Amino acid sequence: MKLRFYLNNVEVEYEIQPDEYLAQVLRRNGVLSIRIGCDESACGSCTVLVDDKPVLSCGLLAAKVEGKHVTTVEGIQEEANRLADYFGDEGADQCSFCSVGFALIVHALRKEYKNPTDEQIKDYIVGNICRCTGYQSQFKAIKAYLKEAK
Amino acid sequence: MSLRAKEYYRASSLEDAYNKLKENPKNVIVGGGLWLKKTGLEYHTIIDLSNLGLDQIKEDKDFIYVGSMVSLRDFENSPIINKLFNGVIAFGVREVMGPAFRNIATIGGSVYGRFPFSDVIAALLPLDVKVKLYPNQEMSLNDLVNYRGKLDGIIEQIIIRKEEGKAFFKKVKTTALDFPMINFSIVNRSGKNYIAIGSRPGVAALAYKAMEEADKGNYEKAAEIASQELQFLDSSNISKEYRIDLTKVYVLRGLKEVNE
Repeated sequence: MKLRFYLNNVEVEYEIQPDEYLAQVLRRNGVLSIRIGCDESACGSCTVLVDDKPVLSCGLLAAKVEGKHVTTVEGIQEEANRLADYFGDEGADQCSFCSVGFALIVHALRKEYKNPTDEQIKDYIVGNICRCTGYQSQFKAIKAYLKEAK
Repeated sequence: MSLRAKEYYRASSLEDAYNKLKENPKNVIVGGGLWLKKTGLEYHTIIDLSNLGLDQIKEDKDFIYVGSMVSLRDFENSPIINKLFNGVIAFGVREVMGPAFRNIATIGGSVYGRFPFSDVIAALLPLDVKVKLYPNQEMSLNDLVNYRGKLDGIIEQIIIRKEEGKAFFKKVKTTALDFPMINFSIVNRSGKNYIAIGSRPGVAALAYKAMEEADKGNYEKAAEIASQELQFLDSSNISKEYRIDLTKVYVLRGLKEVNE
């Protein structure tokens, strides 16, 4: 079946299977920034934005994004680069497998909350797992970034 | 292991969806589609309700009407839901995974699944909740949870009666993203106590005898009864005995909190 949607504001049309999930479709079509970690909607590595809301692309049937706007890290590149600097400063990145998911979830957090509390930040990033660093460094980096990005 | 299906169908109305569902026993309604993937089952047609306007939460004087395609995230963020029972019902739903998961998962799918580990069912069960199924059925959430077999209908709406009162919700888990080892939802509404305990590991159930005792003001005895009247079993991550001990503690704590 044909699927049409906007990928980083560019209209695209892909041939998909009815039972395919979005992460597979994006990767097959060259969007290799999508990281499939657990493939069970549990780790957050495959996070993308659909109509500006963060979703797990490995858990979303591709057909559901018909006509919608899908944003990957390429669509928020400048912001992702700035966040990466803060991650670097705090030692919040080692293997970087999770960092794309973090960039997208932090982008969504910033859109949703003007001045998020510590609790709101933690609640927001709880679904993004990092197996290298232990979260305190990410938390500090995100807090510092949000302060600067106001 | 992943979901397998031959066709994908975007329904134009509930009638259209229902007719398509009846065409083939291997057709299936999809809510968010998260759990469907985990089943690894083979279907003929996936039927999508996304275009039917079922993603709205509305209210009138006495009831809240939650469309079956409302995401858990929209549910927890709804000002209407946050006004309900000091925001505890919204809190219960917020305990499920992260926001990117809850932007996909739907209320209808969570209820239809009758999952033993469901925080959504546990949170809602002590309330007066009816489930409206297309074409012409309405049943209480409690009846639906206890219904064995395949439901003949499509969940259209969850209808919550507005009542005055207080609520308590506790999910016991080992990590932030874990399934509950056990969960408790205790509500005092219109002066009566309701106690639901889920993930025992069975699906959430009301502890009727404990509720009767709580209404007499005997909270410690009610907690003891709750630990005896429902079935508790061992799981890989928690023993039956620990579940029983937790029940005594959290039912007492919850009853005290909602009756303060």
